[in-house]
Amino acid sequence: MTTSLLEIAKLSKRFGGQTALSDVDLKVEQGEFIALLGPSGCGKTTLLRCIAGFLTPDNGSIQIAGDDVTRLPPYLRPLNTVFQNYALFPHMSVADNVAYGPRRKGATKKEALLRAAEALDLVGLSGFADRFPRQLSGGQQQRVALARAIVNRPKLLLLDEPLSALDLKLRKRVQIELKHLQEKLGIAFVFVTHDQEEALTMADRVVVMSGGRIEQVGRGEEIYRAPATRFVADFIGDANLLPCSILPDGSLMTDVGSLRINPKIPPKSGALVAVLRPEQVSLLPDGPMEGLSTAPAVVEDVIHVGSHVIVNVRVGDVVIASRVSGPLPARVVAGARVHVGFRPDDLHLIAD
Amino acid sequence: MTPSARTIGMLIGIPVLFFLAFFLFPMVVVAVASITDPNGGLTVANYTRILLDQYHWDVLWVTFRIGALTTIACVLIGYPLAWYLVRIVAWAPWRRACIILLIVPLFTSNIVRSFGWMVLLGRNGLVNDTLQALGLIERPVRFLGSELGIVIGLVYILLPFIVLAVGNAVADVDPSLEQASADLGAHPSTSFWTVTFPLSLPGLMAGTVMVFMLAVSAYVTPALLSGGRITVFSMLIFQQYSTVFDFHYGGALSITMLVLTLILVAVAGRIGAAKGA
Repeated sequence: MTTSLLEIAKLSKRFGGQTALSDVDLKVEQGEFIALLGPSGCGKTTLLRCIAGFLTPDNGSIQIAGDDVTRLPPYLRPLNTVFQNYALFPHMSVADNVAYGPRRKGATKKEALLRAAEALDLVGLSGFADRFPRQLSGGQQQRVALARAIVNRPKLLLLDEPLSALDLKLRKRVQIELKHLQEKLGIAFVFVTHDQEEALTMADRVVVMSGGRIEQVGRGEEIYRAPATRFVADFIGDANLLPCSILPDGSLMTDVGSLRINPKIPPKSGALVAVLRPEQVSLLPDGPMEGLSTAPAVVEDVIHVGSHVIVNVRVGDVVIASRVSGPLPARVVAGARVHVGFRPDDLHLIAD
Repeated sequence: MTPSARTIGMLIGIPVLFFLAFFLFPMVVVAVASITDPNGGLTVANYTRILLDQYHWDVLWVTFRIGALTTIACVLIGYPLAWYLVRIVAWAPWRRACIILLIVPLFTSNIVRSFGWMVLLGRNGLVNDTLQALGLIERPVRFLGSELGIVIGLVYILLPFIVLAVGNAVADVDPSLEQASADLGAHPSTSFWTVTFPLSLPGLMAGTVMVFMLAVSAYVTPALLSGGRITVFSMLIFQQYSTVFDFHYGGALSITMLVLTLILVAVAGRIGAAKGA
């Protein structure tokens, strides 16, 4: 059995009476890009700080490349961190900031500066070696922080919401650059973010967290298509959550009409929630359609969002969102009577 | 509504007047007195008398030596204390109690506190008794009337200034910088010398300058603890004003002291700046 680069087992941490992490298990492989995703207070930053060594967990263990580092102080751990506020040393030039790591590892001043220059070159900041952090823009500071963290070529790099201070346009560009850099260097990234789009864009696997627990781990597309819990379904993308139950004859009863259960989904007992993405809901102005599960509905409102239109319709007591990409039929206006439909195969069931 | 010229004039004028009346004016009076003779004529005689007299140079040397020793002791005790209060003490009430303990003595008069030290440092005072009881010394050490006694008294009085200045500077150092340093492989002691200490230097410099200036210009503490055996420059000035009533000569002594102190501080600042760059 090969050991994972990072292996976290049964990690728990409490602050006073507050549970920050509870029984977290996670494995990260060499060169993998992992995003820790969740709302603020979900424990993702606490988990990162435990890995970095700035917090000591109450229970559980952290192994890096097979070595137990749970009680090791940060300066002895074989990893580096990009901090949220960058934490650049204000009294040192950009070159000295980046050369700090090699210097601590015993490199001579000349050698360290040489490696700093290489790292700065990698992030596209070659001409900035003699500047001071306060003379740089936010985006440039972010690159210096990145260069400083990769200059020692760690196997594992932790990034604590490193892009949150950048404006949207710049953030999108840096996301792509960061992903390319990660692939080029082969360093495993553990990337904390509360921005789901960022997580889905960049990460090989996304770890969705809530209330100190891991809700689901999986590829972005997997998490979107087959959320494991109601929280994940609700947090990732837009979702129609329809409470439903299985009738004694094996058919599924939702508020959108009854339908035959999808054979791919094993019957579950107890309360169920059906997840239906807005793009899976078809708007049928001209009545029911063959092959779709349909129900009559009343249009509540029509929201134009640039590239597409979201139409909210009421079916009985529930409001369902439908995403329409093409031109909207003229008669779809608030108050209009229409039908909605979806393919039974698209319905994803989770226990409530 | 824009404020009238009159309002603006008042807003600027009152602080300026205050500054002129209470800071500049007394200085000008002293400076003018120092370059005039009793008949009102201009003269540099007061200054030549000071600068050509070896005695004054001896007293200056003692004064600045006491000032320097006091400053060094304050830095050596005050910096770790400030660092301890800001970075180690995690329990806020304890930190607050420490800071209050540090500041409360400032509310009492220098004279009272210096008398306190006279009692403690006397031949049969608490300090000598304790040292003897511990077997560290055989006979009482002469603290009173020695430079050591004066330095002890001054350190006690001036310590809060450096602790507050350094404490503020250390508190301003973002803990994430120390974490970044640790993350890059620096042992905590390395982090301190490469990150925390350099970033707290401006506060340390400010505290050092303040303590040095207050130490060389102190009168009450040296006067009480010198036992009449040691003379510092402020005592010479006091004599001229209070006993001899020679305001011209006293003024010249004051200005000499002021200029020399400023030169020393400027030189120290220059050295500090050069090292920092």
